[in-house]
Amino acid sequence: MLAVDVKNIKKTFISKQDTVEAVKDVSFQVKQGEIFGLLGPNGAGKSTTILMLTTLLSITDGRASVLGIDVATKDKEVREKIGVALQDTGIDNLLTGRELFFTTCRLWGYSKKDSEKRTTEILELVGLVEAADRRVKTYSGGMKRRLDLGLSLVHSPEILFLDEPTTGLDPGSRRVLWDEIKRLRDNGVTIILTTQYLEEADELADRIAIIDEGLVVAEGTSDELKAGIGGDVITFAFENNDFLEDAKNILKNTVQDKNELRITVEDGASKIPGYLKDLTSNGVEVSSVSASKPTLDDVFLEVTGYRLEGSEDIKNEEEKSKR
Amino acid sequence: MESNRSFLIQLQILTKRMVLRVVRRPLAELPNLIISAFFLFVYDGALGGVFGGSASGTPFDFAKGNFINFILPVSIVSASLSGAASGIYLVEDIESGVFKRYQSMPISRWAIILAPMNVGAFRVLLQSGLILFIGIIIGADPAVGNIGFLIVLSLAFLWGMGFAGYSVAAGVKSGSSQGAQAATFLFFPAIFLAPTFVPREALKGWLETAAAYNPTTYVIEAMRAVMVDGWELDVLFRGYLSAGLFAALTLTLAVLSARKATEKA
Repeated sequence: MLAVDVKNIKKTFISKQDTVEAVKDVSFQVKQGEIFGLLGPNGAGKSTTILMLTTLLSITDGRASVLGIDVATKDKEVREKIGVALQDTGIDNLLTGRELFFTTCRLWGYSKKDSEKRTTEILELVGLVEAADRRVKTYSGGMKRRLDLGLSLVHSPEILFLDEPTTGLDPGSRRVLWDEIKRLRDNGVTIILTTQYLEEADELADRIAIIDEGLVVAEGTSDELKAGIGGDVITFAFENNDFLEDAKNILKNTVQDKNELRITVEDGASKIPGYLKDLTSNGVEVSSVSASKPTLDDVFLEVTGYRLEGSEDIKNEEEKSKR
Repeated sequence: MESNRSFLIQLQILTKRMVLRVVRRPLAELPNLIISAFFLFVYDGALGGVFGGSASGTPFDFAKGNFINFILPVSIVSASLSGAASGIYLVEDIESGVFKRYQSMPISRWAIILAPMNVGAFRVLLQSGLILFIGIIIGADPAVGNIGFLIVLSLAFLWGMGFAGYSVAAGVKSGSSQGAQAATFLFFPAIFLAPTFVPREALKGWLETAAAYNPTTYVIEAMRAVMVDGWELDVLFRGYLSAGLFAALTLTLAVLSARKATEKA
């Protein structure tokens, strides 16, 4: 049985002033025990999709099921099976971590004794034993995310929905959370996460759906997506914009990324001399050229026509932290 | 696990959690708790000399020699406005996203809404009880005997629940704690367009008319009846009717707005 089966779901918000199609047509399937990443920029429709799948938002059109249970009509049954950590689900800052876990255990139906036991287990699982009796308002951002993750795991859900779980975290905390998420997957939990970080999708997700403007524009494993654009990526940089514009007319099938042009071809290294000859013979000065295997960044650029903002930031942060 | 998921257990757990929140911020809660007691002393200090024992035998002897009995209902009604905190507690949960977390769990949405109202009710009883206690110490002595205190407390509770309902409706509708907080501004017309310091007959012109349309008037008069005059069943009936209708109206509004807030968009 599929963990999640989404067929052509749509979400339209209608207000007096405006009609917004937040999700135009999204379909995907998630197998049990895998991490499925929804990758896309802010406003792409990722969070809206998650809100629909977690029963917090109605579906305008289409169908979705979680472990074979219809999301639209059986929301209570769906909620029994899932754990949810959304961007805007809050944490009560005045309570301690232990009190929050205990309260959540009780709400999930554990007896007082079992709640105490489960609280200890979850505190250990998310590494918050030492901070357990401190009020949450004293926790760091990373600790709050781990707490949030722990709260969504109290009832041992079969499927976990994580909406941008590492946004705003420092590289160290992000790594800790990534390891946690992988460990959960290894223990059999199916995870659907949204992210706007390419590296996060690449590192964590077994399969990825790229969402842009409310549509799934590509889907597959990271390797499949990279292979899908074929061969190597040759990147040309130019001294000025005039050269870049001329080069666009000379070279075929280029994709522009700021002041660079990219071409995806088989056996890129061997083709570079030919391209350079064409450009220089037409008076175009190339400041640098390189060939590389496609990255998820290239895939995103290829399928959406623009680069995903924020992926550079995470890369820079990672490098800074390594230094 | 299922057996522990009854509505009442959920309500109890969520109420306990909210009580913890309240006691964890004493500086935010204590001023409200003591302000009505403060006003009791101020009213007694400022007006007790004029309308108290020294007014015996004069046309101003409406307190019948015990001004505390006369003014205590005003402080109790002020204290019962603390029920408006319910809306603020609920909206804080909406603003912080805790409300959404509970919505994502298979728990009753009514337990989520009623928990802050429970705490509001507890506050009303605590605050009114404190005023009564102080009143007893400084000489309150109901004309109908000690049962008068219970009547006053029950009226305060009903009245406080009316404000709780109003604040929940206003808070959920506006989606902000300022919206819920605005409910407390009702305090001024409620208290001062009423026979607060003198009986209704002593009010003049527009204020007398306004007081006649203000349900607070009937609640204060019912409390005063048992404190000052004795058993006046028609006055008591009007007091309970006013407080009951106000509570029924605002709680209906609260339920309707909360239902809308918990519906899927």
